[in-house]
Amino acid sequence: MPIDKEKGFDAKNNSSGATVNQGPDVWAKAAGRALYGIDLQLPGMLYGKILRSPHPHARIKAIDTAEADALPGVRAVLTASDIKKKRYGIVVQDELPLAYDRVRYIGDEVAAVAAVDEKSASRALEALNVEYEPLSAVFEPKAALAQGAVQIHDQFPGNIAWQRELERGNPDRAFKEADLVVENSFSIPSVHPTYLEPIACVASSDYPGNLTIHTALQSPDIVRDIIAGALELPFSKVRIVGPVMGGGFGGRVYGNLKLYLLSSLLSQFTGLPVKMQLSREEEFCIGRPMIAAELKIKMALRSDGTFLARESEIVTDNGAYSAQAPWVSKTLSERNDSVYRIPNIRTRACLVYTNKVPTAQYRAYGNQAANFACESLIDQAAEKLGLDPLQIRLNNCTQAGDTTVHGLKIKSCALKDCLKEAAAKIGWSNRNKNCGYGISAGIHASGSLVANKDFRGASARAVLELDGRVTLFSGEQDYGQGTYGAFTNIAAGVLELDPDLFSLNCRDSLITPYSQGALANRQTTIGGRAVQLAAADLKKLIEEAASEMAGEPVRMEKGRLKSNDGSIMELAAVAVYYHNRTSGLTLTGEGSYVPPPVEYDETSYGNISVTYSFAAHAAEVEVDRETGAFTIKRIASVHDSGRIINPLAARGQVYGGVAQGVGFSCYEGYLFDRGRVVSKTLADYRIPTALDVPHIACCFIETTDPEGPLGVKGLGEVVQVPVPGALANAVADAAGVRVTELPITAEKIYRAISKGECAR
Amino acid sequence: MKEQVINFQLNDEPVNVYSDPSLSLLKLLRNRFNLLGTKEGCGRGDCGVCTVLLDGRAVNSCLIPAGKVQGRNVCTIEGISSKSTAKAARFHPIQQAFVEKGAVQCGFCTPGMIMSAFALLQENPSPSKEEVREAISGNLCRCSGYKQIEEAVLEAAKVMICQKEHPGFK
Repeated sequence: MPIDKEKGFDAKNNSSGATVNQGPDVWAKAAGRALYGIDLQLPGMLYGKILRSPHPHARIKAIDTAEADALPGVRAVLTASDIKKKRYGIVVQDELPLAYDRVRYIGDEVAAVAAVDEKSASRALEALNVEYEPLSAVFEPKAALAQGAVQIHDQFPGNIAWQRELERGNPDRAFKEADLVVENSFSIPSVHPTYLEPIACVASSDYPGNLTIHTALQSPDIVRDIIAGALELPFSKVRIVGPVMGGGFGGRVYGNLKLYLLSSLLSQFTGLPVKMQLSREEEFCIGRPMIAAELKIKMALRSDGTFLARESEIVTDNGAYSAQAPWVSKTLSERNDSVYRIPNIRTRACLVYTNKVPTAQYRAYGNQAANFACESLIDQAAEKLGLDPLQIRLNNCTQAGDTTVHGLKIKSCALKDCLKEAAAKIGWSNRNKNCGYGISAGIHASGSLVANKDFRGASARAVLELDGRVTLFSGEQDYGQGTYGAFTNIAAGVLELDPDLFSLNCRDSLITPYSQGALANRQTTIGGRAVQLAAADLKKLIEEAASEMAGEPVRMEKGRLKSNDGSIMELAAVAVYYHNRTSGLTLTGEGSYVPPPVEYDETSYGNISVTYSFAAHAAEVEVDRETGAFTIKRIASVHDSGRIINPLAARGQVYGGVAQGVGFSCYEGYLFDRGRVVSKTLADYRIPTALDVPHIACCFIETTDPEGPLGVKGLGEVVQVPVPGALANAVADAAGVRVTELPITAEKIYRAISKGECAR
Repeated sequence: MKEQVINFQLNDEPVNVYSDPSLSLLKLLRNRFNLLGTKEGCGRGDCGVCTVLLDGRAVNSCLIPAGKVQGRNVCTIEGISSKSTAKAARFHPIQQAFVEKGAVQCGFCTPGMIMSAFALLQENPSPSKEEVREAISGNLCRCSGYKQIEEAVLEAAKVMICQKEHPGFK
């Protein structure tokens, strides 16, 4: 039963009706008092800047730092010869803090300076003299894969950063027995998360060698591990403290490791705090967009529309260094296979080094890129078979109880209802002849377990303060998605206390439990479960201490401590009693949620996540066939994210995620000129404005998932997944031709129409 | 450029500062007056997070040279809240509505967005949805999809009209 919820989740009664806590810093943000990375200043702070390579590929013959070193106000000039040659990386170890003997893209870090102010730092950069010997460069994956192509990294022959071949079932037989085979090729450019606050950090190394980095990260603890490893510091000497984060969208899971490392090194060299900050241009030119992808897909179907097999050949463009690109390529190459029941799969995927900006990840992790291709091809098949695009999806979609072709165990799934509701909301059965309609479906892991199979879950602490309030400690990160509000509501629900009594500590790695952070749609599902367990543990401890204090059994009911005779004790009194009895301890509930082990074989068959979220989107567009100009009129966005516990924030995730999906589908995409980023301003790399986002109808179909706390599943990433597919199909329906290259623009539609191409 | 004294009204107080007149108003506000509520997202007028009011009109402060504000009136996000410490009184109805309607996510665009909304509601106290969208179209937001921002501005408009008609109404 679809529910359009306006009202909140009642923490006290576990039912709808209460207002929802929006997190601790929302008022500070509205007042202009919230401090972000760019706002930070520490006493004695220096400013760091980076000298970058002007060549896409070159040998560094010499660097002369003498002139820069001698300038007034300059406190440190670092080149590779000043630091250890120790490679680091997230999946593969292919980066150094500064280029050693070769630069591999325009923007590669060559030297770093620290000075008393920005002007002096800029002057120092100008005074550095670097002698380069240009090398031949490759800019396209195809060229990089060709025999005899220049090798970008000696340790990765053939310029292959990562590859995989995968076969499930018997695709050859399925293609032989099929009534229909459809195929097409699709291309998706690199896109930038475009968080509005450029990344900034202040690193501060003190004399005993403790390093504190002030920067906002989605996964601060994981970054702490990488920094400690790269700088060969003991983990316990590295601390990350988070200011408020000006948007993340996957781009700040690891943020900009190079910036953190270089500011740390400069701070170690000078003994003073060093602030570094990317400009918007640097964000685009060196700031880690998501991989570009070329997909060639083939599908086999029976004449009744049953999906038999899918074969994909995928090449992704890694750029010069790898970061998370192998993992993104992996998700891109397989997640869409689990949206529908497709018994036979063959996939070849290859991630290729080129002399371009290094890549990383973005919200939805490539899943949305492949969705564009897979869902476009489904509509091509439906048309050939004379089937309704909605019906063919309903007939094939994954359902609760399924184990998908890659071994994902689907414990809860309302995808069928999501599809029906999305169609109903857009008026599928009563479509306007002058418009085009498209529908698309997506799945996304909620609480992925494979990033670290040994550390799958989360932990949290709930402390009863001496004043009777409760402080939660969690390493999960909220940058506006509503996580903290959700955690407060979950804990308040367990203890049956007013959410206003709760505070949260989440942004200091010194005091919060280690966490994987905001990735893989895991925070509310996994982190929330830990909070729930910590609150339950605290409740038990409070009851024990209160019983001891009263000398008789005391129960905590409806947030109040009652003994058998009905007398009531104050929470603060119990807290103080325990504090005095133990000379200073506080009642501290601990929660540790450890999801079941991952059974995951070498072909990566297995249940990779705690649970899975589903979404179906339907779009209505109007296309002017004379010019190709098009208008997105409406998008219906229907979700199975389990139980919705923070409806205001959930709607915010849907509107924002769909808007980003519209950007991904119709506006965004890197442009290069021989390895140089051309789209390097927000005027050239357009993200949707208030006038570009269409009307979005948002709806939640609630399921109760057995794994998440209170049955919740993730929402923030899955929301973007079906947008490109729905829009591409709607445009094809309206224009009569299919655009297979993102972003979909009026020009591409016009060209396709005038070519008379009817590939749909 | 040679430094000079610049006098102007800042959040209803007269101020004077000795500055290079070609420095941007944004840098002047952030670095000289420590008013960090006005954010910087691009430095070239593309994103709108640095929006302030100059004589009541919403402008990108990164594009205004400091010398241009001589004798004029500048209002920032810090200037639209009252100085009272009671939460209910401290926040302007636009700020209140932004929080209540879920219009604040990462919050980085929020100060600039609120200043654009403020300028709109001064000029047009009961705008349509389309007029709200138009007024904030120079303010990028990557989190919200603008829907809850639009809802917040419309809600604030209602409250402000009500407050005008019934002074003392909260």
